[in-house]
Amino acid sequence: MHETEIHDLSDDADYAASQQQGSASIMRSDSGRQSSSSEPDGAEVVYSKDNVTIHPTQFASERISGRLKLIKQGSSLFMTWIPYKGQSSNARLSEKDRNLYTIRAVPFTEVRSVRRHTPALGWQYIIVVLSSGLAFPPLYFYNGGVKEFLATIKQHVFLVRSAEDANVFLINDFENPLQRTLSSLELPRAVSVGSGHSTSISVGESPLVETQERSNRNVRDGRLSVSEYSGRPRQKSQDPARDLSIHVLEKFSLVTKFARETTSQIFGEAHTNGFGAIEKRRYNQSSIDQPQKVSNSVEKVPDEAPIASDPLEKISCMKHNLGEEAATDVGNFELINCEEFDKLALVWGKPRQPALGPEEWVTFLDSEGRITDSKALRKRIFYGGVEHILRKEVWAFLLGYHAYDSTYAEREYFRSLKKSEYETIKNQWQSISPEQAKRFTKFRERKGLIDKDVVRTDRSLSFYDGDDNPNVNLLRDILLTYSFYNFDLGYCQGMSDLLSPILFVMGDESESFWCFVSLMERLGPNFNRDQNGMHTQLFAISKLVELLDSPLHNYFKQHDCLNYFFCFRWVLIQFKREFEYEKTMRLWEVLWTHYLSEHLHLYVCVAILKRYRNKIMGEQMDFDTLLKFINELSGQIELDAVLRDAEALCICAGENGAACIPPGTPPSLPIDNGLWYPQQDDVL
Amino acid sequence: MDLNLFFVAGVGKSCLLLQFTDKRFQPVHDLTIGVEFGARMITIDNKPIKLQIWDTAGQESFRSITRSYYRGAAGALLHSSFRRETFNHLASWLEDARQHANANMTIMLIGNKCDLAHRRAVSTEEGEQFAKEHGLIFMEASAKTAQNVEEAFIKTAGTIYKKIQDGVFDVSNESYGIKVGYGGIPGPSGGRDGTSSQAGGCCS
Repeated sequence: MHETEIHDLSDDADYAASQQQGSASIMRSDSGRQSSSSEPDGAEVVYSKDNVTIHPTQFASERISGRLKLIKQGSSLFMTWIPYKGQSSNARLSEKDRNLYTIRAVPFTEVRSVRRHTPALGWQYIIVVLSSGLAFPPLYFYNGGVKEFLATIKQHVFLVRSAEDANVFLINDFENPLQRTLSSLELPRAVSVGSGHSTSISVGESPLVETQERSNRNVRDGRLSVSEYSGRPRQKSQDPARDLSIHVLEKFSLVTKFARETTSQIFGEAHTNGFGAIEKRRYNQSSIDQPQKVSNSVEKVPDEAPIASDPLEKISCMKHNLGEEAATDVGNFELINCEEFDKLALVWGKPRQPALGPEEWVTFLDSEGRITDSKALRKRIFYGGVEHILRKEVWAFLLGYHAYDSTYAEREYFRSLKKSEYETIKNQWQSISPEQAKRFTKFRERKGLIDKDVVRTDRSLSFYDGDDNPNVNLLRDILLTYSFYNFDLGYCQGMSDLLSPILFVMGDESESFWCFVSLMERLGPNFNRDQNGMHTQLFAISKLVELLDSPLHNYFKQHDCLNYFFCFRWVLIQFKREFEYEKTMRLWEVLWTHYLSEHLHLYVCVAILKRYRNKIMGEQMDFDTLLKFINELSGQIELDAVLRDAEALCICAGENGAACIPPGTPPSLPIDNGLWYPQQDDVL
Repeated sequence: MDLNLFFVAGVGKSCLLLQFTDKRFQPVHDLTIGVEFGARMITIDNKPIKLQIWDTAGQESFRSITRSYYRGAAGALLHSSFRRETFNHLASWLEDARQHANANMTIMLIGNKCDLAHRRAVSTEEGEQFAKEHGLIFMEASAKTAQNVEEAFIKTAGTIYKKIQDGVFDVSNESYGIKVGYGGIPGPSGGRDGTSSQAGGCCS
């Protein structure tokens, strides 16, 4: 087997070259006695390669070369990369920089994968991704030897070539919860292995080892809450998690590289000039705002540069990093934590597409008007929404008013049935005489409340403005009819916000009513008297934040913000007040596809919070300030970016995310169709 | 000094608030979902005071949520159109506020003068009587004409200010909805000024 693997490498030019040159000192376990003598007892260097170099910046003068080693101790394999000392080609590279990038005895139990890159021009390089999702900067093999490196790993730990990408080699250990923390990274066909665990490391200088262990522990602590959720085994054979997993690896490594650069630069300045140096960087963000800078080192660069809307945010996040760095040790890889990811890495979702137009729409319909592949349609709308002209037709499906497999004729018939049904219900309240109304307090109260609210709904929109606007009357009639259709739920503030775009799109009174009814089937619990629908969703958000951003969760916990009431308006009326009208409609149709999750709106909440997390934590916002801050985000949130983030988070969270959301959480249909809306009216 | 006021009950709060903060009347204002904020600087005893007003959703269904906002308020403005049906809800709201807010909260009952006299079922006298019974300050104001709007807010703030000077509030406790900045008013818990370096220039 040994032989076969080596034979496997015979086509590797690098390997051949290195063999011939003899410049690389390749030691195998059975022949490495020579070099292992320099290592502590029990440790054995099984691979060593000189002139493995990182490119912290684009400048050739700032490259750092070093020696890459694989060290075996007991049943465990470790990787080290130590930059050469005193070989300073450039004065700008301080000893600190070298320390920063040094890789000290990383056990392979903590490595998730190795990706091999073979650019058409230049050196072959690898990116090592840890199970925590972090990645080391690309290691360029100036003297070749990538295949040899991989072959050596394969001899000692379980290495499997990814079925999706022949250049990705997975080192999987699904017994280790850490390995599963980012469920999006789960790759199929990976087999569990019994590779050794990193108990004690006696490789290298002991102080370094200590630091390493300490920071490893930090990482674990920081992610503990995440791994708690990894209880259920996942069975996911379906894209897009799989499609994205490789993509995700790429982005992570890209990001980590940025983070490293930034941290290194900041540290350099802070170290020499004191912390005041950070302030200066507020005006000089170019180095981190340009992902193109490293585009030569990874094949794919995000389609859009991540939004650095607020330079202050980034600064506070850097401060945060710096603080943490000071608290542990300079240059420990683990210190480059998730902070930067929020801005940089979350934009890995598929780019948004243009809205679905009429020409494409007809391709989803068969000759009789059935939607043949509703999933494909929902997917299409998920990624781009629909053009306004189509909304009237498409929303009826998305909301569940029309069945996807209905024909044109069936829908026509259904509409006429529903129209008369609507008229019947409407007539119930229309036929209440003034005398009767006098003795019908509940009716008067409801009508009074609706009358007051419809004239306070989207009046700035020309569709609803002006005196005696017939559309405002339609709003009122539909809401009042609904309060008779669902007398238990009645009318509650916020409903007019949900109805307004539906009426605007559907135009027709009866159609609007029934589409609203369909929406309320899903969102009705938002308006329950006891607010249980709202509480369930806010609770789910808190669990999702705990899963996806435990530092932010801890912050909220410390500041008594775990009730998430600051997300109340978002959830109650589906972000209606947070975006302009057109954007709201776009968001709604995306949410209504239920494509990735029927609870995507909860991930949207998390995505927005993550976007502003550094500001929230940096400014130490308390509950009041946070509430005000969130309120004032209205009109400031970039929809497409947030949708991409939400998608990525949803995929990332996978089933662990789904497990955060209690059954029956709106818009899921209630688990039990008992009394869901027992409540009393109130008028104020 | 920052004062948090809490604004509840009744349609037309947002109009009244806008009249106070922006000095304009806007009859059409989207109904409040959750909570909205208004703020204005006023002066009492030559001391600048920032009034921050929390304008909350009117409907009682939201009470379980809005309740959580009470805790950070030094005072509350209670708006009523003085129609019988809405007036009857005041007592229940008050009970709730007293239960969840601090006991020393200053509450002002503002009667809406906008409402035409013939639609009113509750007289000024009855409003005054209610206020007296429940220990509220009472005033009638009109968002439309701006009559008494300024006075209502400033009177509420003034009452709170006096309570602080009398030592009713411990201004070091932010849960009273009061933040004292540097050079703030001399309170019984004096000596606090400048002792803290918290962000925002507040020695909370």
